[in-house]
Amino acid sequence: MSGTAPEPAEIPGIRLVIVDDHAIFRSGLKADLDPSLLVVGEAGSVDDAVRVIAEVRPDVVLLDVHLPGGRGGGGHEVITSSAALHGTTRFLALSVSDAAEDVVSVIRAGARGYITKSASGKDITDAINRVAGGDAVFSPRLAGFVLDAFGTSPAEIADDELDRLSARELEVMRLIARGYSYKEVAKELFIGIKTVETHVSAVLRKLQLSSRHELTHWAAQRRLL
Amino acid sequence: MSTSPTPPLTRSADRWLAGVCQGLAMHLGWPVRLVRAGMVLAVFAGGAGAVFYGFLWLFVPTADEMLRSAERRPVSPIAPAVSHGFQPPGSGAAQEVAGASAVTLAAGSAPQGSPGEKAKGRASGPAGAAAGSGASPGGKRGHTLPYAREILTGSGLLFLGGILVARHLGVNVPLGTILPGAAVLAGAAIAWMQLDDARRTGLVSRSGANRSGGWIRLLAGLAMVIGGVLVVVSGSGSWEQTWLALLASIAVLGGVALVLLPWALKFWRDLERERTGRIRETERAEIAAHLHDSVLQTLALIQRRAGSEVDVVRLARAQERELRAWLYQHPGEGAGLMAERLRTAAAEVEDATGQVVDVVCVGDAPVSEQHEALVQACREAMLNAARHGGGAVSVYLEISAAATEVFVRDRGRGFSLATVPADRLGIRESIIGRMRRHGGSAEILSSAEGTDVRLRLPSFESTTTTKAQRAEETR
Repeated sequence: MSGTAPEPAEIPGIRLVIVDDHAIFRSGLKADLDPSLLVVGEAGSVDDAVRVIAEVRPDVVLLDVHLPGGRGGGGHEVITSSAALHGTTRFLALSVSDAAEDVVSVIRAGARGYITKSASGKDITDAINRVAGGDAVFSPRLAGFVLDAFGTSPAEIADDELDRLSARELEVMRLIARGYSYKEVAKELFIGIKTVETHVSAVLRKLQLSSRHELTHWAAQRRLL
Repeated sequence: MSTSPTPPLTRSADRWLAGVCQGLAMHLGWPVRLVRAGMVLAVFAGGAGAVFYGFLWLFVPTADEMLRSAERRPVSPIAPAVSHGFQPPGSGAAQEVAGASAVTLAAGSAPQGSPGEKAKGRASGPAGAAAGSGASPGGKRGHTLPYAREILTGSGLLFLGGILVARHLGVNVPLGTILPGAAVLAGAAIAWMQLDDARRTGLVSRSGANRSGGWIRLLAGLAMVIGGVLVVVSGSGSWEQTWLALLASIAVLGGVALVLLPWALKFWRDLERERTGRIRETERAEIAAHLHDSVLQTLALIQRRAGSEVDVVRLARAQERELRAWLYQHPGEGAGLMAERLRTAAAEVEDATGQVVDVVCVGDAPVSEQHEALVQACREAMLNAARHGGGAVSVYLEISAAATEVFVRDRGRGFSLATVPADRLGIRESIIGRMRRHGGSAEILSSAEGTDVRLRLPSFESTTTTKAQRAEETR
């Protein structure tokens, strides 16, 4: 059943740039991806990535967190340097790293999701489609980070809205952390898949904007503030 | 002396002049009149009595001062034990030996204005007799001689007395040579005494004097320095020349230092660079060794087993886990905590079945007995999921203040608990039964889309924290 559950609307001809410093991984990934995706560029370093992205203006950039070059900022430097394109180009972070600060740094820089390199070609294709459609992509591990950082008790007061997750958002995050696909989450919670996507996007927004201590601490460590 | 401890030497409050004679009489156990008469007689022997009296007046504390200092500085805890240890019935021999050596010491130091006696009185009070003997507690503290100060003073005074006596007898003593030497020695002794224990041991260990041979080196060096000073002071004769020579040597040394400074700095920097380079080299060698031991070996294995997909996945996954732990985890971090325990169990399942088990943990807590049962139940669930589910297994651990929950999910064909044969104990006993026995609960939901095992263990005490809560507390 794996991976067949999420069926984001297929957007024909998504233009994709793959940024990863390992050429072997790039070619392997290209072979794995669905043929409907058009890989219009590749880059292996921060400077190359910024140049290629500005040149071809892709719909989605598949971005490794750790990259050589630039000022040493890796993936989040690519995102911040491509700020002019944020309206049209969306970033999906791809990483082997388990370290929370790596993941959170690219998400806070503006990536729309995070997925591990061990994910199958089909899963990555789905994630690219979802990001291209404006939704957020959360892996179970990212959901775990979010729950760890925001706490597992729901928000009660309205004014710390950015610093806490609502009860519904917590439920969604828990199910994603347990390995549920969006569709399975929707079925489990008796809500529509669009509602699930709305909740996940809301969590992503909080993750990017919240000034919660844990998040700002990570950000400060990476000199993102 | 060995039967009743000698009263410490103090200046008595019952006195004519300063209480010296009274105190001395009490200390020695002689009649006070005899002491006083002796003292007066000694005054007529070239004023020796007056000097002795003055010495004791200056250096012997009054009875009150003695009490106060005893309160401030309690006797070493070992001393009473030792002094009592010598007195059980039937150990007369030891007692006598101790007493005898104490007597010898006292007798040996008596003619020098009895600094030894005084020291006994001052340093350790009632335990003085035992402490003064060969088996002294002071002997346990490395090289420190008991009463070093007093022995030094005594030898100095003896030396001085010897010189005076020799001169009196008409021997020509080369005072010009001996006095500077004595001054140097006395200065060194005083400087040594100024250092506290820690600095002394530091000095000794740094000069290597605590090793055999080190002492000889140190003493030889000191003797040469002292000898050099003596030659300079006594040999050249005139002080002006000496000063000039000293100034000249200092000027030369300063000049040499100025000339050599840049070179020395460069040398120092080179040394530092080389050292950091070596550290980096060591680190690289360590990483290379690790990669060789783990990653390269695994890659070789994978190539050999390329035909078997299960084996390749298993090997790659095990290697990935190991490398991850090496890269991202600080040694010892998370040891004994629930998340680490569950990850280890998941790793075992991965190794056993060759299926990927993804573990996501939120919060953490020390592993209690109930938690251990939970881990075992979860392990069983993971094994089932990996064997029968076919495909990746997702495990989610959440530890909150209220409960510890684990969710194990697979995407297999599912099963119905009712159809499981009664003799199969895996689920009934190892999961459900075990959780119930430890006050928790287990729930198994299975459908055609997969199986979800939910294990829940309520908290018995609130030792659990999530990262967010921890941060809130420390804020």
